[in-house]
Amino acid sequence: METVIISDTPHLRKKRTTKGIMLDVLIALIPATVAGLVYFGGRAAVTLILSVFSSVATEFVWLLCKKTDFKTILKQFDYTSAVTGLLLGLTMPPLEYSLWYIPVLSGIFAVGAVKMLFGGTGKNIVNPAIAGRVFAFIAFSGSMVSGWISPAFGSLSSGNEVYAGATPLTDLLGGGLQAVGVSNLDLFLGTGVPGCIGETCKIALIAGGIYLVARKVIKFQYPLIYIAVTGLVSVFMSGTDWNVFLPSVLGGGLILGAVFMATDYVTSPNNKPASYVYFVLLGVVTALLRYGTKIEVVSFAILLMNLIVPLLNAYIRPRPFGATPVIKMIKDKIEAKKASAVKKEADGK
Amino acid sequence: MKAERIKSIGIDGLLKNNPTFRLVLGTCPTLALTTAATNGIGMGLAVTFILICSNVIISLLRKIIPGEVRIPAFVMIIATFVTLVRMLLDKFIPDLYESMGVYLPLIVVNCIILGRAESFASKNPVADSALDGLFTGLGFTWAMTAISIIREVLGAGQLFGITLWDFRIEFFTSSAGAFFVYGLCIALFNGAYTKIESKMRRKRFRSLYEAPLGEETLQAVAEQDTSVKEGR
Repeated sequence: METVIISDTPHLRKKRTTKGIMLDVLIALIPATVAGLVYFGGRAAVTLILSVFSSVATEFVWLLCKKTDFKTILKQFDYTSAVTGLLLGLTMPPLEYSLWYIPVLSGIFAVGAVKMLFGGTGKNIVNPAIAGRVFAFIAFSGSMVSGWISPAFGSLSSGNEVYAGATPLTDLLGGGLQAVGVSNLDLFLGTGVPGCIGETCKIALIAGGIYLVARKVIKFQYPLIYIAVTGLVSVFMSGTDWNVFLPSVLGGGLILGAVFMATDYVTSPNNKPASYVYFVLLGVVTALLRYGTKIEVVSFAILLMNLIVPLLNAYIRPRPFGATPVIKMIKDKIEAKKASAVKKEADGK
Repeated sequence: MKAERIKSIGIDGLLKNNPTFRLVLGTCPTLALTTAATNGIGMGLAVTFILICSNVIISLLRKIIPGEVRIPAFVMIIATFVTLVRMLLDKFIPDLYESMGVYLPLIVVNCIILGRAESFASKNPVADSALDGLFTGLGFTWAMTAISIIREVLGAGQLFGITLWDFRIEFFTSSAGAFFVYGLCIALFNGAYTKIESKMRRKRFRSLYEAPLGEETLQAVAEQDTSVKEGR
């Protein structure tokens, strides 16, 4: 005799949890973190540790203030604030030890004000790590600028002496890469390139991205669209000079932002068509803002675009299963019009 | 005037209908002028003075002003006092006049003043209107001062122009910080207000909450608050 089991939805379950996905993201960030530590040394380590610690501690303190049991918090902890803290640290310059309060305060702002205040994991309106970085840049603009140091390895190609400064992208926007003596290969490997802790070594970031794609945490199209559109718009902005394409893609924090931040589940559209629109717009906004302000603006572009995601979700809806595709609907209408016109003509005769 | 009436107008202006935190009126000067505590207090007091004067005059003229042209008439009266305050400040406190800049003449279109004229002064006697102007203005002043103290201490490391420490978070002096602090203050004030109000209601209608059924219940309902202010 057969048994019939009656149960509520959902009937299909996946083993994938938020905790698992966040662990995958943490694993994917390991190469970039290691590269940052190797290039920038102790300062980078202190910045990273402080930002991760303050982010995680903020979540715990917030939940404890809401009178949640410590054991429950530990059980429900899903590493999101750890990912936020690590990304926040990776987008900061290797700060001097005396500026320890910058990563701490940014971590508190990122998790406390942007995530927990709006309701915790999955409720934040913008990416917390991006908001934390933007907070740090607005709040401590003077100290952040003085935080740049040169990496441990010199340039591979030119043998020029290592220089300290913000990303070479600023120089590219100002005059040209030749002036600072950094080749595209240097930009790719991060050798002789100053910048934020996690953004200089592109090969490490791409390795992390490939891991995420392989684990099906992110879709490979989206970061690629973002990066390609930014590069193309940059090329057209500079008068169809194709030499600009690679530096504008590899210089600055574009790959870090595209792979790890723009693809954040909470703050990106929830369906395919809207996502394509989102990432194309993101690329256009990034390239245009870069040329408008002459500084690196990936974080500001993502922050701005995060805010229009609800709008995209509301207006661009996926086609429901079984519904007529839009193009076919229009074709049908045109054909119906033609048929009626023919019929009218026939009637008139 | 009864003491109860004074108390109700006072609580209304300072807390219950606080123009900044509860009604969210006059946000433009609140966001722009709260970078320093002195600016906040100066702006608050200027608004208070203009509010009292305009409320009194509008209340005196409330039966003469025709309903169709009341808004232009109110604006004329308010503008007169704003001009007066501008001249006085320019003469006697030029520093404050400088720092307030364009926001001083903009008091003419400040919706707190126009709102009180429209909803209170044009319907109530002179003494009530003057008191309402005073308390609403003081409500605005204390809110401005609270926001500007937070922003000045965190953003500039100063309090009333006296340097406390060298540590600065420039975020709080920027306009993004203004929105952030303002939003947080609204949330905190309203959270605390709702909590206290519900506690007080529980106290007043204790019999309603405690006695499950009976005659006291009906009595308590009859006692309900009748001192709700008119004109809103």
